[in-house]
Amino acid sequence: MVTDILYLTLERFLRFLPILVAAIVVAKVLRLYISEDKIGTLLKGERRNIMGASLLGLVTPGPLAPYLPLLKVLQVGGLSLSVVAAFITSQTLVGPFRAFLEVDMFGLGFFIFRVAVSFVIAISVGVSFQLLNKHITPKIPSSQKKVNHK
Amino acid sequence: MKKKVAYVCIDSLKEMKTIIPAFFIATLVGVTLEFYLPDEIAFAVLGKSPILSIPLAAVIGIVLPIPRYATYPIAFSLFQKGASIGTIFALLSGEVILGSPDRDIMEFKYFGWKAFVSRLILCTAFVIVGSFVVEVLLW
Repeated sequence: MVTDILYLTLERFLRFLPILVAAIVVAKVLRLYISEDKIGTLLKGERRNIMGASLLGLVTPGPLAPYLPLLKVLQVGGLSLSVVAAFITSQTLVGPFRAFLEVDMFGLGFFIFRVAVSFVIAISVGVSFQLLNKHITPKIPSSQKKVNHK
Repeated sequence: MKKKVAYVCIDSLKEMKTIIPAFFIATLVGVTLEFYLPDEIAFAVLGKSPILSIPLAAVIGIVLPIPRYATYPIAFSLFQKGASIGTIFALLSGEVILGSPDRDIMEFKYFGWKAFVSRLILCTAFVIVGSFVVEVLLW
């Protein structure tokens, strides 16, 4: 039984290993070309656009943590919390890294459905945040608010 | 160009060092589950009734303390065991609702507890609804 388990584990592991390696490398290449600054600039243009932010989140590679400080700065600068929530949701739900494994394990149809449904989930979270805006937006101290000198 | 290639190679190798062992362990856990988890139990809990299995898989995904890429071999084994496609969707999507502790603490600190908890609740609810949609459409 133990030998069978080890054999199947190795067989499956070796089957998925090239896909895993390809996924890691592709994610790194994408990360190289889609920097945090680029995402920041694009999000600035999406101040109130939940759909745009959700779409941007879908194609943003890598873990979420490096983007959080940038999102905070943008939020203090006027970016709506609903846009931030939509971006966080879609960024975490889908990623280029996942595409490879998902297509190989569960098929292309499943992956397409997952991306589409995740996009709708992110929009739904963003819209819900907009509806609950008054109750959940943290108060930004006046010292942190960006003053627009014109 | 050379610099970029070197960066991609070094950074990828660094990541592989942590991901590959975790992925192997997750594959081992998945295969062990496949061998020891009786078919009837797996089917009864994860495949028979989506009304029970989808919310359960989402909650399991949220509380599962493993990296996201390690969820895949386990999900694959459960799929082989008869788990429905909506259940797999709920497990994979639920797993990322709560991230690593550092990410969650950052999100909590930056946007406040109300925003953090609201996103957690809303995401869980919408992932469950989305999983039912996938279950119906991919049946």
